[in-house]
Amino acid sequence: MSPVDAGAATNVGAGNWKGLGMWAWLLFRVAGIVLVVYLFAHIGVISTARLGGRSTLNSAFDLFDHPLFVLLDLLLVWAVLFHALNGVRILLMDCGLGIHRHKLVFGACMAVAVISLGFFAFKAFAYIAAHHAGGLGGLI
Amino acid sequence: MSTEVVERPPQAPPGPPDAAPPATGRMRPAVIADSAGGMWGWLLQRVTAVVLIVGLLTHIVATHIFNIGHLSYLNIGDRLGSTFFVVIDVSLLAAAIFHGLNGARMVVLDYWLKGRAGRRALSITLWVFGSAVFGYGLWALWPWISH
Repeated sequence: MSPVDAGAATNVGAGNWKGLGMWAWLLFRVAGIVLVVYLFAHIGVISTARLGGRSTLNSAFDLFDHPLFVLLDLLLVWAVLFHALNGVRILLMDCGLGIHRHKLVFGACMAVAVISLGFFAFKAFAYIAAHHAGGLGGLI
Repeated sequence: MSTEVVERPPQAPPGPPDAAPPATGRMRPAVIADSAGGMWGWLLQRVTAVVLIVGLLTHIVATHIFNIGHLSYLNIGDRLGSTFFVVIDVSLLAAAIFHGLNGARMVVLDYWLKGRAGRRALSITLWVFGSAVFGYGLWALWPWISH
């Protein structure tokens, strides 16, 4: 089948890539749903400042300081980075940029996501180590 | 290689939302028309995506890297005392609510609500709900913004 044949829009570069693209699509969707849920939770938490006064919000921040919540934050950063960088790939494809090198574009986007995640992970673990006696041992 | 695009059969299911356009290097209107969400949803999803990439990068780095370990009511007030962060956070609020709810709508439309009336009801419900959440978010931020 030629690349511009029927159904080409959903079948560019079928083969091994089709499997990888499927996983990218699924993870993109799962991360998106996680982020929508987080968005409403985030608005709810921030609004406690007005609902219950500033001390209510500050005690929520004290809770989020726990290593477990810092690790959950890291999971959230993973969802944001994967969703954002896969989204950049989609935007580029929509603009017709890099379609002939779409595997390279995907690889580059994921490389940026992994490097950024590494930066945030370093910050998160350094914070836990510096501010919590016993570091991650405090989780147990 | 021919650049002629063969029409999809009318009963074909819509492709995944991130289906790549054909290899002509130009946008094919049919790709947008085929997607269940309609042209405006498609376009606004991309516009809000750009707002979110720029805004979230600023928001996350300012809040969780530069102020790591210092988050508090007053620390938020420090940022929201500047017009720059008010613009960033309020546009993030609007863009994130639209992008999130429209994304959820696309998930729903992929599996359910094949009829026109149901889709319309979903859109109206989400617009009302999203507007209410935006109003609530603005209300929650107001003490910092107006300070």
